[in-house]
Amino acid sequence: MPPAIETTDLVKEYGDLRALQELSLTVEEGEFFGLLGPNGAGKTTFINTLVGLARKTGGEARVFGHDVEAEYQEARNAIGLAPQEFNVDRFFPIREVLMHKAGYHGIPEDEAAERADEVLKRVGIYDKRNERFDWLSGGMKRRLLLARALVTDPDLLILDEPTAGVDVQLRHDLWELVTELNEEGTTVLLTTHYIEEAERLCDRVAIMNEGQKVTVATPDDLKTRGTDTITVRLESSPAVAPDLGEYAHETTLEDGHLEVRVDDGGSTAPQLLHDLEADGYEIADLEISRTSLEEIFVDLTRSEDRTVTRSGASETDEPTEDETDDGAAREQEGIA
Amino acid sequence: MWSVGFSALFRREILRFVRRPKNTFMPPAITNVLYFAVFGLILGGRIDEPVEGIGYILFLVPGLVVLGTISNAFENASFSIFHGRWNEYIHETLTSPLSYAEMVVAYVGASAVRGLIVGVIIAVIGRLFVPISIENGLFLVVTMIVIAALFAGFGIIGGLVARDFDDLTVMNQFILRPLVFFGAVFYSLTMLEPIWQAVSMLNPMVYMVDSVRYGLLGYSDMHSVAPAAYAEFAPYASLGVLTLLTVVVIAVDVYLFKIGYGLTD
Repeated sequence: MPPAIETTDLVKEYGDLRALQELSLTVEEGEFFGLLGPNGAGKTTFINTLVGLARKTGGEARVFGHDVEAEYQEARNAIGLAPQEFNVDRFFPIREVLMHKAGYHGIPEDEAAERADEVLKRVGIYDKRNERFDWLSGGMKRRLLLARALVTDPDLLILDEPTAGVDVQLRHDLWELVTELNEEGTTVLLTTHYIEEAERLCDRVAIMNEGQKVTVATPDDLKTRGTDTITVRLESSPAVAPDLGEYAHETTLEDGHLEVRVDDGGSTAPQLLHDLEADGYEIADLEISRTSLEEIFVDLTRSEDRTVTRSGASETDEPTEDETDDGAAREQEGIA
Repeated sequence: MWSVGFSALFRREILRFVRRPKNTFMPPAITNVLYFAVFGLILGGRIDEPVEGIGYILFLVPGLVVLGTISNAFENASFSIFHGRWNEYIHETLTSPLSYAEMVVAYVGASAVRGLIVGVIIAVIGRLFVPISIENGLFLVVTMIVIAALFAGFGIIGGLVARDFDDLTVMNQFILRPLVFFGAVFYSLTMLEPIWQAVSMLNPMVYMVDSVRYGLLGYSDMHSVAPAAYAEFAPYASLGVLTLLTVVVIAVDVYLFKIGYGLTD
């Protein structure tokens, strides 16, 4: 079986701007794959070249072995996309919107109706099935985007920032649902800038920055790339930091606490204790803190224009859901 | 071509305008009642027969049918594409496995159907004012389908090129409508000075109105106005050119979808 996604030297240019720079990436079938990166890293552009919303400038992109341009119909048929934007047909009740989408994917009307009901139940908005999109709350809109991605029973589910701006309850519901889908065999590509989300859900993550792949690894592997900090409280504080072995990359002394940066805290701690005791220090307390994935992410994508948010924090630079809802467009609706 | 996916999109497009008759069918119906009443009954009573044997109201019917058909076909296609782009829900179609040709034919087909329904509504309204007997039924049906599809095809281009809703209004009000009004809807070309007859021959709308008038009333201005070489074959030559043009415009639509013009980043 070919990989779910395989790109080779994928390039996308917008005039002078290179949004994707020779990006080569492989997502295996059945994987839960995360795409991490600050805003403007090229995550959405990457997705858009796969689904047909952007035409690549160069390189190759395949979905389950199908070239996204030469065999666009086969490639698109395999994908279910839940995008960031609320790009839903506003003329019809949501159940019909889902039936239409299923229809475009070749699912006959009766079956499309059954699937629409099924996915609406699955995401928990079946009782809103006869409402139009504009009348749903922000959270329900997010659920509908997922339902629309699922109604075609895709082999590859692409979720572009699915939990941006949603409340904790919905975020957990979505996590549970996509984990379930992945366990059922659906390949999942998730873009996010919530580190916790990637760490919790993904088998592997690719970190992107300025259109390039910085690295691909499992979240655990990534964490081993960072350094740990061993904090030791000494009974009597020395005047200067003691001189330790080569294992200590950096040693600082502050308020009687000695902070030692090492590669692996767990295996280095006994050696450190031994060395300190040999030098005559009396140890009161010891604590090892591991590098968070977030710190590694920040190191890897360090640039001037960066937005990184912790899960649950609110300081994103995205518009709120109300802002993305285009009131002007709604007014135009139905005029012709 | 007639895949499940195509049928789903075609059906969606038809339902969009069928469920909104107040926005789609009522305005042309009311406008045309006014045209027939004012131009036909009130003014037309004072105008001599523009063509021997054909009263003014009857003469108006084909032109108004064409005006309603093409403007609605154009408006439907351009609005459907542009509104879908504006709210980005056209992505539902673009990310589907439909071929570009299927997408275009579904949009064009549904818009042409709306144009044709409006055309029939106008003909029925005309019938309330004056008896009509169709002279060349088959020719009329084929011509109507061709011009409805042609303007639906133009509408797709309009919807892809437009940057805001004002652009759509400009296309309809400042380009389409003047061409139709000077397309011999309200007068016969035989009533014009030779110089204006020659200028009118450059207006593509003239051929459409004339062909529909030939289909409906059995009369064509071309026989008396066009150069002899063309007059001999008119209005069949007009239908041939219009058909060819329709195929070209739809091919352009498919090409624009393929390159993602106005649709992709």
